[in-house]
Amino acid sequence: MTTQLPPGIQLETVDDRIMTLNVGPQHPGSGHMRLIIKVDGDYIVSCDPDPGYVHRGEEKMAEYRNYIQNIPHLERPVIHDSCNILYPYCLAVEDLLGIEVPERAKYIRVIASELNRCVYTLYWLAIYGIFLGHSTMFMWPAGDRELFIDLLEAMSGARVTHAYLVPGGVRNDLPANFEERCLRQVDYFEKRIKEYQAIFYQNPVLRQRTEGTGILSRMDAIRLGTTGSVLRASGVDFDLRKKEPYDVYENLDFETQVLKEGDSYARSLIPYLEMFESCRIIKDALRKMPKSGSVRTKLKPNPKGGNDEAYRRVESGRGSLGFHIISNNRPEPYRVKISVGSFRNLICIPYLLKGEKLGNMPSVYWSLNYWPVEADR
Amino acid sequence: MSTIAPEFRLSRFIASLTDIIFWVLLIFSLVGLPLVFILLFYIKLPIVNGQLLTPYLAMTWMADPSRTIPIIKSLIHTEFFRIIAFPGFGFAALLAAATIFVERKFLAKIQLRVGPLYCGKIEGILQLMGDGLKLISKEIIIPAKADKPIFWVAPLLFVGTAAAFASLIPVAPGWVVSNPNVGLLVVFATIGFFPIIVVLSSWSANSKWTFIGGIRALHQMISFEIPLILSLLGIVILTGTLNLTEIVESQQHYWWIVFMPIGAIVFFITILAELERIPFDLPEAESEIVAGWLTEFSGMMYGLIQLGTYLKLYAFAGLFTVLFLGGWNGPMVWPPFPQEIITNGITIGPITAHIPGLPLFDQDMLNGTLWFVIKTVGVILVILLPRGVFPRIRIDLLLYTGWYKLIGLAFINIFIALGLLYAGVLGHGGLIQ
Amino acid sequence: MDSKKKVDKESSETNIDATELENDQNNESNNDSTKLTKEEAKKFYEEKGIDLSHDVPIRSQPIPPFEKSMADKIVSKFGQKVVINYVRPNRIRVNTKREDILDVAYFIRDELKFDHAESVGGVDYPDSKEIEVVYHLGSYTDEQLGNKILALATRVPREDIPNPGKDSTRTPSLRDVFYSVEFHERECFEMFGVFFEGHPDNRRLLLPEDWADIPPFRKDFKIKGR
Repeated sequence: MTTQLPPGIQLETVDDRIMTLNVGPQHPGSGHMRLIIKVDGDYIVSCDPDPGYVHRGEEKMAEYRNYIQNIPHLERPVIHDSCNILYPYCLAVEDLLGIEVPERAKYIRVIASELNRCVYTLYWLAIYGIFLGHSTMFMWPAGDRELFIDLLEAMSGARVTHAYLVPGGVRNDLPANFEERCLRQVDYFEKRIKEYQAIFYQNPVLRQRTEGTGILSRMDAIRLGTTGSVLRASGVDFDLRKKEPYDVYENLDFETQVLKEGDSYARSLIPYLEMFESCRIIKDALRKMPKSGSVRTKLKPNPKGGNDEAYRRVESGRGSLGFHIISNNRPEPYRVKISVGSFRNLICIPYLLKGEKLGNMPSVYWSLNYWPVEADR
Repeated sequence: MSTIAPEFRLSRFIASLTDIIFWVLLIFSLVGLPLVFILLFYIKLPIVNGQLLTPYLAMTWMADPSRTIPIIKSLIHTEFFRIIAFPGFGFAALLAAATIFVERKFLAKIQLRVGPLYCGKIEGILQLMGDGLKLISKEIIIPAKADKPIFWVAPLLFVGTAAAFASLIPVAPGWVVSNPNVGLLVVFATIGFFPIIVVLSSWSANSKWTFIGGIRALHQMISFEIPLILSLLGIVILTGTLNLTEIVESQQHYWWIVFMPIGAIVFFITILAELERIPFDLPEAESEIVAGWLTEFSGMMYGLIQLGTYLKLYAFAGLFTVLFLGGWNGPMVWPPFPQEIITNGITIGPITAHIPGLPLFDQDMLNGTLWFVIKTVGVILVILLPRGVFPRIRIDLLLYTGWYKLIGLAFINIFIALGLLYAGVLGHGGLIQ
Repeated sequence: MDSKKKVDKESSETNIDATELENDQNNESNNDSTKLTKEEAKKFYEEKGIDLSHDVPIRSQPIPPFEKSMADKIVSKFGQKVVINYVRPNRIRVNTKREDILDVAYFIRDELKFDHAESVGGVDYPDSKEIEVVYHLGSYTDEQLGNKILALATRVPREDIPNPGKDSTRTPSLRDVFYSVEFHERECFEMFGVFFEGHPDNRRLLLPEDWADIPPFRKDFKIKGR
């Protein structure tokens, strides 16, 4: 009789052919998680992701704070995309409290979340570049990110953790001359990210390396319940901004980017192409936005939700991001469940890495648009 | 509440300093000086102005300005100087250090950064020194289950082999540390040591990452050594010699890159692979296998490996210059040494000083060194450029490139060389001499 | 429990009474040394310019026909076995017993064309000694269902002294129906102690391997200092 181990712990069996590698959490190519990889020569025979190193119990914390106090800590799972993670929370809380959002605030929310999506995508792209050993692709997006970070700083006052979206609208109005500045920077930004094509996306070495690796077929993408860029790279035309338009997305002019290949290259290309769409949305929203008006419906202090529940979701930088909030006549929510795109894409890692070469591990892993901190919540 | 040196006394500190100085002086005079004299007993001393240069004479003559130059000149022509300073280790290490600095600034400019900026006031010129001091001051950690003797000796072997490789490169006419008749064969033999050292060090560290990195390095170096050797055979066929100095002398009128561009391209790609530079930095691919075979090295052991890598970079760039770019050959641009200083001496105000022994170096040597350095630095910059442009390649694509494409191209290059030889265009008795 | 009953209402009407302001002990503004009466409070907020107009109940929405037809399909198939909690625009919630959840899930997948799970969340109700497991199901293949979410919920008994994996807190796993629930169910297992029978890989996912406390998302696991 072998000794009973607690769930989760496994003893490593020593094999003269299979070698077990612990990729992470101190590995430069893993992020805040661990991949237990077994290799046979250069081929991965099995992969077991072990997330949870940055689990902070956001869902539990949310049960102890009221609807307004929850705003700053709920954006912590993904601070680079903080507007998009607060968006479904605000929508759900508005449903629960029955608040109408002013028209101008809806447009400002869209602009903020699209700017933030670009900021996140550039950060992700920078890490994708350095994962493939392309140091220039690390530095360029990291530098160009500053443009939109400055814009968001002008809007919200904070560079990264904006806490800009609140239930009932946005925290404060846009600064003076924001529209000209935003248009100018978006124009420059579009010119700038076109240059990425020449150095990165059309680089022969990169294409050789990522095309045809880690292929996720259309049916598998649906079966595994993937979301976001992973899903759209596999040929499923599903974008919540089109399918379930929230706020003013139905009035805005943009397209969904879909590719059929489903390999690492397509998965890395989709977020890049969506940055152009984000720029289109921002320009369109700036044009259609009411030039003045209220930006926030004032809440009464300590608002209470009824005995009700709400499930709202938006399209974040990593896919569908949903908040399931249950309230029970208290100022605090009874239960908050965050359904994040990263956690839903986690299931692809063992599926895609099995049978790949060890050298493809970083490119396949990071092309899944996986953010370990968000997945752990 | 200070916890560091709670009973600090300045007087004791000064006393300890004087103690240390006393012991250093005592040990030096009792052990050091006798050792110096024992060493001098075995060294062949030069004859300057008809007198044997004993240490005491050297001391007295150093004070006499008219005899300083001849002594220095005699020292310059010793083997010792060649190995340590000019064409050997010192020169190569200096160029290597400059390479690291240039690489960092160069890469920063590609990536729209500024690079090292603060250390040393002027464009961060002292950054490298700071990094070196940091590496020296770091603790050296040996893995508990490592094979310690091999693990310790691997960095030294690496630097030693790289320095041996650098010593084969002729810098100026007659200025080479060692000039064997089969110079190119010695180069191949020296390059062949690197995979062995890498595998030994990676295996001795007893870590999974170093092991994978070592195996990758072995694959890469062996599969690229064959096209490397083949790509240079064309030159050997046309010049009929393996001696590097003679190969340089054969390029007085035209460079070999003119007739063998394919060989030059193949050789350049194999250089990138042998040096483990991007896009061929698989053995150190940090996002896949942490730092590959360098994972367990820390402190100055890592610093030595880095030094060896850059020495190797200099040596390969120098080899490319010597074989394909005409080595030291180039138009005479160095101004001749002014004759009136030799005949009339230097006049400073009322005093006219006659300095015998000038010039220190002849014009050919300085001009050759200048051209060699210019060409080598150019080659180094081209070697550095892919780092800012390419991502890392995958191991199967790398092996495919090495075994199929490069070997095929190298054979085409050999056929071109043979065709030129048998058509009577080049080579012994050819049309172009 | 009362929370369950109120969730059962078909429309999303809620009544937030302004008089509750006074009774609420957690209200920061009212935690001052002097307690305000209702009129004083209203006056106070009007002076501050705070709008209280949203205190009126939110608009009641008409029951959308498409969602209603889907709910009817489920009810006509299973009858008394399922309870439709609510039908709202784009949202349906179905509650069922844990013995029937596999049948209902197969029906939802094969007949209603929902093909993946977005999240699997647990809700702890210590008063009624139950834990609710909610599957949020969505569809990629059907164009019409792109914006619809079907919440499939079931309730499992809850034990005061949990022994995850060994006690009666267990329910059939839906992994054979929806492959995408694999990691979500693992998370639910470690956070609530709900054992999913038939799940191939019921290991810890997020929690550390040496976690020796009760499942942390249960209500009786208190955060220190709160």
